[in-house]
Amino acid sequence: MRLEVRRGKKEITEGTTVADKLLIVALMIISLSGFIFIKNVFPQGTDVRIEVNGKSAYRLPLNTDTTISVKGVIGDTVVEIKNRKVRIKESPCPNKICIHNGWVDRGAIVCLPNKVMVFIGGSEDRQNKTIDAIAG
Amino acid sequence: MKEKLKVKSSKLEVQKIFLLLATCYLLLATVSSCVPQKEKVYRKSKILMDTLITISAVSDSGDKADLAIEKAFSEIEKLDKLLNFFSDKSELSEINKNAGKKAVKVSPETFEVIERAIYASEKTGGAFDVTIGTEITLWDFHNKVKPEDKAIRERLSLVNYKGILLNKRASSVYLNKKGMLIDLGGIAKGYAADKAVEVMKKKGIKSGLVSVAGDIKAFGLKPDGKPWKIGIKNPRAKNEDDEIMATIELTDMAISTSGDYERYFIIEGKRYHHILNPKTGYPADGCRSVSIIAKDGAITDPFSTGIFTLGAEKGMKLLEEMGLDGIIVDKDGKIHTTSNLRGKIEIRGSQGQKRNN
Repeated sequence: MRLEVRRGKKEITEGTTVADKLLIVALMIISLSGFIFIKNVFPQGTDVRIEVNGKSAYRLPLNTDTTISVKGVIGDTVVEIKNRKVRIKESPCPNKICIHNGWVDRGAIVCLPNKVMVFIGGSEDRQNKTIDAIAG
Repeated sequence: MKEKLKVKSSKLEVQKIFLLLATCYLLLATVSSCVPQKEKVYRKSKILMDTLITISAVSDSGDKADLAIEKAFSEIEKLDKLLNFFSDKSELSEINKNAGKKAVKVSPETFEVIERAIYASEKTGGAFDVTIGTEITLWDFHNKVKPEDKAIRERLSLVNYKGILLNKRASSVYLNKKGMLIDLGGIAKGYAADKAVEVMKKKGIKSGLVSVAGDIKAFGLKPDGKPWKIGIKNPRAKNEDDEIMATIELTDMAISTSGDYERYFIIEGKRYHHILNPKTGYPADGCRSVSIIAKDGAITDPFSTGIFTLGAEKGMKLLEEMGLDGIIVDKDGKIHTTSNLRGKIEIRGSQGQKRNN
């Protein structure tokens, strides 16, 4: 009995074997593939989609500060991206509801008169996991 | 001898590791296939009927969903051309232009919407009335202009749904007084949601969601087997966090909300909003918001407007009588729900609002 215990102790303290190295590599592969797996299943809100009159017009990254002029049906709508937030800076529409919307980091901003729609992608999906539509 | 044994044992371990690896990947593969890849929600938004319309369809094929969604949009576009109050070419304009002159022959859709509008008028005792058009044209909510009291009073005699004469056989509509104007703004969106759902079902879509601004119709279940979750707007939201007042899960049902927070202006502390009381010509002041749940959008849309005008007390009574479901936020911010909704509605609550049912 005593002898067996001693032998076990001896094996543990032996240097790393080929098998150990393989195990480490395998674990690394598994953990890395886990990252990729999670990224694919839970995409993050990283892009801004701009549509004009129902047609896709631009796709921009949310993490790069940009200002873009978008030609709508009555004039130019200026969309600004800054600090991962989006706003409509200038608009030719009469009521300016889109401008009053202010800075937004999820969902969408819509200018009805100029038919310009700005969607923040990915984060929209995250919101939709809880609520599918809003009445009112 | 000892060396050989070592090599053998490490070989065995390599095999073990590969087995472990294979199991892990198999596990990952199973988990990822559990995430619904077969059926997905396809969603598209368009600006039609002067508002934002979003249509979702559940399908195992993106092409199939896309086709159905496009068909539904073109149905709504068709209805918009028939029913638009502001377009000179719509059938509705034709009816309005010929008020007091002659009956106008219309398409079955236009006839049906007006027929259903009259039904809602009768049930609400005139609290919903599409002939409010003549008063609506007096108000300008963009430029915050309140019309003169005299002008409002003068036109009141032109507001009466009983002056709409329908001839089913001839499919014609006649307004019996010159100057009368039908505005279908309180029913066309709900009706359009119904029609869009019909079109998608015909295209083989078993589940989806159509939202025409605040008028929503849901059918079938989501890919995860759950009903659609609809949020009801808080009429006095202060920020993004309290935007939603309550949520409810719906399938094969429509919901519409009418609120005093959509188009309005405030003069001397008084709120003037777009829901006009047909009896007075002024904004109705009994409620902040009314949501109605029923099978058809052509019911929920006009009844949310009509019950808003009736006020909380009369409104609740009518809903219970008719067996309709509703959530009313009265003028003090108190929430009332019909008894059938208890346990089905999840109230998130918000500042200054108490529950009462």
